[in-house]
Amino acid sequence: MSLRFGILGLIAEEPLHGYQVKQRFEEVLGGTWEVNIGSVYQTLQRLERDGLVATTGDRGDRGRQAYRVTDAGVSALEEWLEDPESQPQLLREEVYMKLLLLGRRSNGSHSNGRLQRLLRRQRHVYLQRLRDLADQEKIAREGGRPQLALLFKGGQLHTEADLKFLDAVVEQMESH
Amino acid sequence: MSWLVDLTDVSKVFSSGAKTVALDGVTLRIGGGEFTAVMGPSGSGKSTLLNLIAGLDRATSGSIVVDGVDLTRANETQLARYRRSRVGFVFQFFNLLSNLTVMENVLVPAELAGVPGAQARARAKELLKELGMAGLHGSYPSNLSGGQRQRVAIARALINRPALVLADEPTGALDSGSGEQVMALLDDLNQRGQTILLVTHDAKLAAAHGRRIVTLRDGRVEDDARIEPRRSSEPRELVRLGAEEA
Repeated sequence: MSLRFGILGLIAEEPLHGYQVKQRFEEVLGGTWEVNIGSVYQTLQRLERDGLVATTGDRGDRGRQAYRVTDAGVSALEEWLEDPESQPQLLREEVYMKLLLLGRRSNGSHSNGRLQRLLRRQRHVYLQRLRDLADQEKIAREGGRPQLALLFKGGQLHTEADLKFLDAVVEQMESH
Repeated sequence: MSWLVDLTDVSKVFSSGAKTVALDGVTLRIGGGEFTAVMGPSGSGKSTLLNLIAGLDRATSGSIVVDGVDLTRANETQLARYRRSRVGFVFQFFNLLSNLTVMENVLVPAELAGVPGAQARARAKELLKELGMAGLHGSYPSNLSGGQRQRVAIARALINRPALVLADEPTGALDSGSGEQVMALLDDLNQRGQTILLVTHDAKLAAAHGRRIVTLRDGRVEDDARIEPRRSSEPRELVRLGAEEA
């Protein structure tokens, strides 16, 4: 996901300068995305170049420039908000590459042991992650932040799928 | 160290028709006060394991000792006494008696165990109050929500102060809100020292509540993992919505 529409969406709520964008962004996402200030300025410049935001008001006492959304920016945002996400699925789990390479290396049974050890340790990582995500979901919910809680719920569902993937690997190993 | 639950090389073979090996040499030891989750796909042996620990069925071989009772050597009378007084059951579909009130349902195991009536009623009242069911003693199960029924079932499971609570998919028939409340009750019980064995196919549930997760596959223990509660984790170390490439 690019920063582009996230930033545009926040500026559409109210004019913000670069540093406020960074702070607001990190705040609404509950600290799950630490944004580089350089990327924020770069994105703002591109949005301005494309006519989706424009500078507004004078520079503040520290030389900060605020941006507001333009009419074209509102239309672009509305269109983006209505479109379902349909990028190719991003699968960059390192574990897949490890399993693949371990499998290609194994001509004898000794590396099968390595594969099993990796699977077991990976399972423990996923189980601990499920616990940590459940705890964070609870903290978010108790803190009155249901949208943030949903983000952690989503994380748990993805991790559950990761665990099922390990099961599929084991089943395939057993059937060969 | 003595274990509350001590299974050594336990196997269970069902031989009606085709021979099925449901459990194959399972060794599992659980200490008092633990919250253990047993996970695994259907057919992995979870239910068989639960039934053996519950004293509802007998192992084909191996030894099972729970709270000092050797279940493999106990006779039927001893097993029945064990089930009444040493273990509490929480099931997916509550298993309440529909013609009995909430209070009467909770009292059933106490009556079977021969606990004096007044003493049992005092305990039941206290439990129902703790579980937020104080005003509903005279209600019948059919007038309760799923979450309320499960709370009655938990009170019934606890009435005889069992050494071990066995919970078999306790949230399986509940909506997510009621399910979370039921699990919070089990967490709370565990924090007060109650040993709990949760059986579930749901990894999210197992990891969110168990401190130890035992995974069964094809009747064997495939994995035995310890989980640490770490509420201080950095959110960013867990979920990144959009990582900027380094």
